[in-house]
Amino acid sequence: MVATSHKKQDKELLNQLQSILLKEERVAIERLQETIDDPVILSEKIRPIIEERMLFFKENFPKEFKVTVDKMIEVKLKASQEEILDVIYPVMGKMIKKYVNHQIQMLKDSIDESIKKTFFSRGILWRLKNSLLGITVSDQVIHDLKDYQIEEIYVIQRNSGLLFGSASTENTIDQDVIAGMLTAIKSFVEDAFKREREDLEMIQYGTYKILLQNFYSYYIAIAISGSMSSTEREGLANELLGFAEEELNTLPAEPDQIFEKVSISLREKFIK
Amino acid sequence: MISRKVILTGSFGVGKTSLFRRFIKGTFSEKYITTIGVKVDKKVVEIRGEEVSILLWDIAGEVRQDKVPKSFFLGASAIIYVFDLTRPSTYKNIGVDMKILNDILPDAIIKVVGNKEDLILKEGTDNVIDIAALDKIKKEVAIHVDATTSAKTGDNVEQLFSNLAEEFIA
Repeated sequence: MVATSHKKQDKELLNQLQSILLKEERVAIERLQETIDDPVILSEKIRPIIEERMLFFKENFPKEFKVTVDKMIEVKLKASQEEILDVIYPVMGKMIKKYVNHQIQMLKDSIDESIKKTFFSRGILWRLKNSLLGITVSDQVIHDLKDYQIEEIYVIQRNSGLLFGSASTENTIDQDVIAGMLTAIKSFVEDAFKREREDLEMIQYGTYKILLQNFYSYYIAIAISGSMSSTEREGLANELLGFAEEELNTLPAEPDQIFEKVSISLREKFIK
Repeated sequence: MISRKVILTGSFGVGKTSLFRRFIKGTFSEKYITTIGVKVDKKVVEIRGEEVSILLWDIAGEVRQDKVPKSFFLGASAIIYVFDLTRPSTYKNIGVDMKILNDILPDAIIKVVGNKEDLILKEGTDNVIDIAALDKIKKEVAIHVDATTSAKTGDNVEQLFSNLAEEFIA
């Protein structure tokens, strides 16, 4: 009993001693707690530190994280190769087409010039009339033929031949089968002639043509009747590149939704 | 509806086109016309209320699968490798052919099918299949045979494609 009472007294003395010795620390802890609990005060205290670290991060980011970021990009590029190529393909295609188009235009101008010089004495009135209207000889010859019309258009998965979407002026035979057969023909021709990285671009019978515009994981097949000048074909190719860029880069996950979305877009854009 | 590309391949004269016709159109012809290149057709199969569109590629027969243009196989979800139960020459290279197909399409389902079972008949009968003889042939084939069919009678043909469709939606 006496021992217990002594222990109690010791404890009280120890507490008093602690209060005296740790008074300043306790006040400091209380202030610190208040600072932590009040978001405004905390923000004021921390902001300069964060800003300083941010500045450091901004200035030293390339040095500190270059290797990590390079590695991450490399992994991402490898994992999403198909998606990236689908995005890049139309853009690259446009640039290449623009250049090729320019070169062809130069060639065409030079042919026109030669024709003008060679047949100067004949058809002077015909050429005079056309030149007044700003029409070149080659364009006139092509324009004399019938205008073209898009009869059918298909977006087809490149390897499997499965249909992403289609639109047509009239009801044709099963469009899945057409897409499959077109892919089979395309694969057959490309394999038979063993031209690596070259694609079949056109199938023609009579005045009916099927133009094939190739992308990385799909291709677009357009059945056309009538005649088409090189300028019109160029214009259509550009329209297809634009269409691919706008409509085919992001497709829904569900196959039925893909078919519906692509088919509606094709009909709105290409079938008049 | 899901769509899947399925390839019919194997040596020449094993009945790929007959299976193709039997499955797509439900018909059979005794006339043999060799397939040039490839023929494509489609059939929609319904499995437990879900539709599966099978786009079937009937490829010209080749003695060895490395002779078939690789691009024909690309994008296929399944390959049906057909051999003739009455001609051992059509299955003697099956091991090598399977390796070639697995290398081209490692993730595809491959079904090995012995066709023309209607010609393996019990002696003295004209329409009773000799099961023992059929089993003997299946044992001779170096790998597991998934089905024996008859494009002529239609036996097991629908079943073969239904099983495939089932695996597609599984």
